[in-house]
Amino acid sequence: MANEFFNANVVEIKDLWKKFQVYQDKTISLKERIIFWGRQRTEGFWALRNINLSVPKGKTIGLIGRNGSGKSTLLKIISRILYPTQGEVKVRGKLSTLLELGAGFHPDFTGRENIFLNASILGFTRKEIKEKLNDIVEFAELGDFIDNPVRNYSSGMYMRLGFAVAVHVDPDILLIDEVLSVGDLAFQEKCLTRIQDMQKQGKTIILVTHAPKQVEDLCDIAVWLDHGEAKLQGPAQEVAQAYKEFISGA
Amino acid sequence: MGQQLKEIYLYREMLKNLVAKELRARYKGSVLGFFWTFFNPLLMLIVYSLVFSFVMRVQTENYAMFLFVALLPWNYFATSVLQGAASLVQNSSLIKKIYFPREILPLSVVLTNLVNYLLSLFILIPALLIFKVDLTLALIAFPAILIVETLLVASLTFLVAIANVYFRDLEHIMGVLMMAWFFLTPVLYPADLIPQNAKFIFNLNPATPIIEAYRSIFYAGKWPQWDVLGYLTIGLLVLVIISLVVFGRFQKTVAEEI
Repeated sequence: MANEFFNANVVEIKDLWKKFQVYQDKTISLKERIIFWGRQRTEGFWALRNINLSVPKGKTIGLIGRNGSGKSTLLKIISRILYPTQGEVKVRGKLSTLLELGAGFHPDFTGRENIFLNASILGFTRKEIKEKLNDIVEFAELGDFIDNPVRNYSSGMYMRLGFAVAVHVDPDILLIDEVLSVGDLAFQEKCLTRIQDMQKQGKTIILVTHAPKQVEDLCDIAVWLDHGEAKLQGPAQEVAQAYKEFISGA
Repeated sequence: MGQQLKEIYLYREMLKNLVAKELRARYKGSVLGFFWTFFNPLLMLIVYSLVFSFVMRVQTENYAMFLFVALLPWNYFATSVLQGAASLVQNSSLIKKIYFPREILPLSVVLTNLVNYLLSLFILIPALLIFKVDLTLALIAFPAILIVETLLVASLTFLVAIANVYFRDLEHIMGVLMMAWFFLTPVLYPADLIPQNAKFIFNLNPATPIIEAYRSIFYAGKWPQWDVLGYLTIGLLVLVIISLVVFGRFQKTVAEEI
């Protein structure tokens, strides 16, 4: 039983397909609706085709690929923002998504008040937030600004506060979508350290990026997505290398 | 549906924070701030009592109070449904980026307006005393009536919120629809003014027995008609289940449609 627990895949994706309805460039008016009644007015666009992926507990997975390759769509499906058209996704454990920093921040509220708001949107109870409050405040490095309304923040400060909340929530699985480029270099360095700490704690991380270097530095396994298909899937170094060659060749 | 309710419970902190945010943010920056929550019903009361005691003299005894006890719960209902219709579309940036049970958004609208209604009672009760309306023991029926009303408000808010994602015109239609509904419900006039042959149509309106019940406990000092409220509760529980199932079914593609 214990053995099974340690070997368990925390995310399992089987035969996943995702189709988006692509509407024509404008909304359909009543007139057009009547004229084209019953005729198909949208065409499907397959954003993901036949994706199979098992994420073992405690590993870091990199999703790499060019813009529009379906990386973010896959991340959104894992985090249940979108639902698959076909196939299934199984997730075991508490999951947190870093798709947007500072979600739901209210400009008139202070940084401290927004920590409570933001963390509760990420699914945390008041008790959990209170326990983490000091760490979050310290991590954000906002000084006295923490008790000022967020509307007075610079965009870097705003992002830092958002990131501080997001990395202090304590999920089993963390999904990150290209948010590592926040703040100045020193702060980025701090974020990377924080992610490495989480790796040491045995958290599972799924990371979306288009920088092969991040895949090499942070990931164990990588998936290279191209036009919605997994072009290459395997050890991070190998995939990153192949992707680099592809980019420089193209 | 059990799963749905469990998820909502897990995100109760978010719900609480959204309600608190809404209540505090509404009047932020204004001089009177949170006191506007009380001033709004107070000013409304002053206007109505002036109009109906000096300008338009209605036969009904104490008409301002007769109206006020019904208008406050009606506003809770109508405002929730109207704001609820826009609740998902307005928060599209949140929905596209973060997972949380989508029911939280319309539910937070309902709870915000519920709290506002409860706060307006601090104006209503003194006003009733000033206008010498007898307050009786029947007032203890208030929580029961409020729960019945909330079942209606919540289920309709769920339905319009999700429908508006797929049919945006609804948001604009709802304004007219709620106005028509207002005139078809005995808020401005007593229920016995409804002609006998139209009675059966008015009986289909679930808002009527609720408004009547409020009026009977606050204004007439009588107990509400328990049998009517009982039947209504059963019907509304069915409606709540339907609305949750419909919402759960259609919320899957919400992030793509907004």
